[in-house]
Amino acid sequence: MRRRVVGVVSGIASALFLSGCATNAPQDTWQPKGPNAEIIDNLQKPVFAVAGIIGVIVTVAVIIAVIRFRDKGQPIPHQSHGNPALEITLTIIPALILTVVGVFTFRTVFDLAKTSDTEMIINVTGQQWWWEYDYPVQNEFGITQPIITSGQLVIPAGTKVLLRQTSRDVIHSYWIPALNGKRDAVPGRVHLNRIEADKPGIYAGQCTEFCGLSHANMRMEAVALSKADFAKWVANQLKPYTSPAENTLAKEGETVFMNQCVRCHQVNGMKRADGTPVIAAPDENIVSGAAPNLSHLMSRNTFAGATFDLLNKSCREDVWTADSESFGAKYLSGVSEDCLNQKDLRGWLRNAPAMKPMYANPALLTSTGGKYRGMPNLGLTEADIEKLVAYLLTLK
Amino acid sequence: MFSTGSKYFFGITFLGTIAFAIYMLLISESAIGGTALFGLVGATALLTGLLLFTRDGSNGEEGVAASAAAPTKSIWPLIAAVGTTLLLVGAITSTVVTLLGVVLLLAALVEWSVLSWSERASSDSAYNASLRKRLLNPIEFPVLAAVGLGVVILSFSRITLAVNKSVGAIAFIVLGSLVLAAGVLFSVRPNLKRGLVSGICVLGVVGIVAAGIASAGVGIREELVLAKEEGHYMHQECGAEKSEHFDKLPLEGVSATASVDTYIELIDGKLVASVQGFAGSQQSITVPRSNPTNILFRNKTEGEYRLVANLGSKTVADGVKEEVVHCTQLIEQGFEQLLTLNIPKPAEAGKPFTLTVPGLAGQSIEVIVP
Ligand code: HEC
Ligand SMILES: [Cu+2]
Repeated sequence: MRRRVVGVVSGIASALFLSGCATNAPQDTWQPKGPNAEIIDNLQKPVFAVAGIIGVIVTVAVIIAVIRFRDKGQPIPHQSHGNPALEITLTIIPALILTVVGVFTFRTVFDLAKTSDTEMIINVTGQQWWWEYDYPVQNEFGITQPIITSGQLVIPAGTKVLLRQTSRDVIHSYWIPALNGKRDAVPGRVHLNRIEADKPGIYAGQCTEFCGLSHANMRMEAVALSKADFAKWVANQLKPYTSPAENTLAKEGETVFMNQCVRCHQVNGMKRADGTPVIAAPDENIVSGAAPNLSHLMSRNTFAGATFDLLNKSCREDVWTADSESFGAKYLSGVSEDCLNQKDLRGWLRNAPAMKPMYANPALLTSTGGKYRGMPNLGLTEADIEKLVAYLLTLK
Repeated sequence: MFSTGSKYFFGITFLGTIAFAIYMLLISESAIGGTALFGLVGATALLTGLLLFTRDGSNGEEGVAASAAAPTKSIWPLIAAVGTTLLLVGAITSTVVTLLGVVLLLAALVEWSVLSWSERASSDSAYNASLRKRLLNPIEFPVLAAVGLGVVILSFSRITLAVNKSVGAIAFIVLGSLVLAAGVLFSVRPNLKRGLVSGICVLGVVGIVAAGIASAGVGIREELVLAKEEGHYMHQECGAEKSEHFDKLPLEGVSATASVDTYIELIDGKLVASVQGFAGSQQSITVPRSNPTNILFRNKTEGEYRLVANLGSKTVADGVKEEVVHCTQLIEQGFEQLLTLNIPKPAEAGKPFTLTVPGLAGQSIEVIVP
């Protein structure tokens, strides 16, 4: 019996221990990939070591005391009241340790709060359950008009980026563990968060403030590109809209899109047949007042809060495992028809709430005045979906 | 046959059943509400049965310590009954009534339980009464005082809303002096008869409440009625001139220190923006759509100026368009005011959104909504 208990306990312990060594753990907090995360790492490692040693000493001391002084029927030992010298020492030592840790912690906090050396600014807006990024005009990066995208935050590597975070509905929290600590996105406030990636690559993260039904599906990725690649990305985002050629499936898809989707989704530069610009009205249809801008959907490779891949498995693998030299070119090639994850995208168009829990049942919207949280099931026909996929593939 | 405890639970079960029936038949067929009420009925029915079966857990002997005196006369059963009625009536009429019922029931629950508990504490009924007081007076007095004060304040507010502004001020001064005078009188003459003291207090309160009810009947004064009808405080007038209503008392507006996204300053006649996170001043600001953005306007120029946000136009009816304009009040030099913009859609091509100052040509900051 006793053997078995020991066996089970040590089994669980070693499983826990070994799970710490997982190789495919993109949100590992112990693997900084940028200076801000390194500043945190430089603090947490020694603190963890000190705390670990003290933890071991205390545990061992308790075990020894429990075993050596257990009740064996011996007489009650001499009772004394305190030992001032010992007590003062045992107060001063931890106080000193905490002071040292405190000094370094404060330094770290101030280092992380610095904004004077910012090189680039991106507005980050959270809403149930995806992140929107907009890039204000910054001519030094070729951003001559605002850029707006979602899910994947694209930044130049080796550049000090300042995120100005806020939220459109409830509190969310932005955290890319490899690049920095977390910071809340609070409605009505702008919180500043520095991030910087050393090398090109893709870094995963997740909303870390419980924000409702699909909190677990509110993910994000930071994509760092070399400066040259970033300039290409910017140029592509600023490319004007081109309507698909007449008499193609994609052109029919554009018509379906105008009928079904533009009440929520903006596609910059899209015009109706009579030449008037198409302006989406997410404020009239969604609680948060926003839906992802789809102008260059296929230039990103995830969708719906980075929960689903736009790339199929092998193409995704290719991008994620690329070394930092070849990563940029692979990312910039976007999503081609061959690489498209048809299953998930079609599933999304067929019935979005079935793939990601959202409050999008039209019968239950009295409390929000008819507005959705998330994308509803639009009851599209398979033929419409076929056309839409062809159209969405042109949004590169 | 029925033991005391089982009667109590039987009562709750009975009322719960009625509530359950009324809820399901008349109010709504909601699963949550139904389950809750049904759960209550089930639980109390079970307790009724248990208590009947065990005869309240008594072993047949009478309690030795219990007072032999008959129970005190008490108003709480009556209040509990009224509370229950209100609870049920409220379920059909309005939540306010339900809330009142809940409050009465809670009060009755506390008072009644403590009362019956204290009556059995010993065989000395005087001691029992003091026990009750010791427990409940610390709750009763503050609650009664708060309710009393609330009534007086509400009545007085009706009076000041009904009468002319200066008359209201005078009434306030007179009332304050009377209260002070009464207070002084009571403290220098501690031996005044109790009846006299309570007479003065009751007279004062009744007077105020009566005047309050009368004023409520008369309604609020004309000036306020007019302001409400014409929406003086809702309707912004954004011109360069001082507007009669909107620009009243600008310095009483609330400013903000935290949560400011952008500072717009008018420095010696020049409009500049400084945005949190950006170094230096900007000539355009980017505001995410559908997101309340706080802009603080500071006037650092001699004279009074206001900041105006020109946010394009919106269709109010078929074919009818209305300019969307928001503004601060006229702000004196050295002062500031917050303007919160929530812009749902990007600007039309060629018609950018701007922040301007009426009366100052050539000063404008573009608001970009991607
Ligand atoms: C009622 C508003 C609404 C309508 C109509 C709507 N969507 Fe959506 N859509 C949303 C919302 C909200 C999201 C974000 C959901 C999330 O990630 O939580 C979304 C997400 C998406 C995404 C993922 C985008 C990304 O970057 O994450 C795609 C693709 C999409 N919708 C396509 C469509 C298409 C195609 C149509 C028309 C057939 C359509 N939507 C109609 C509200 C809408
Ligand atoms: Cu979230």
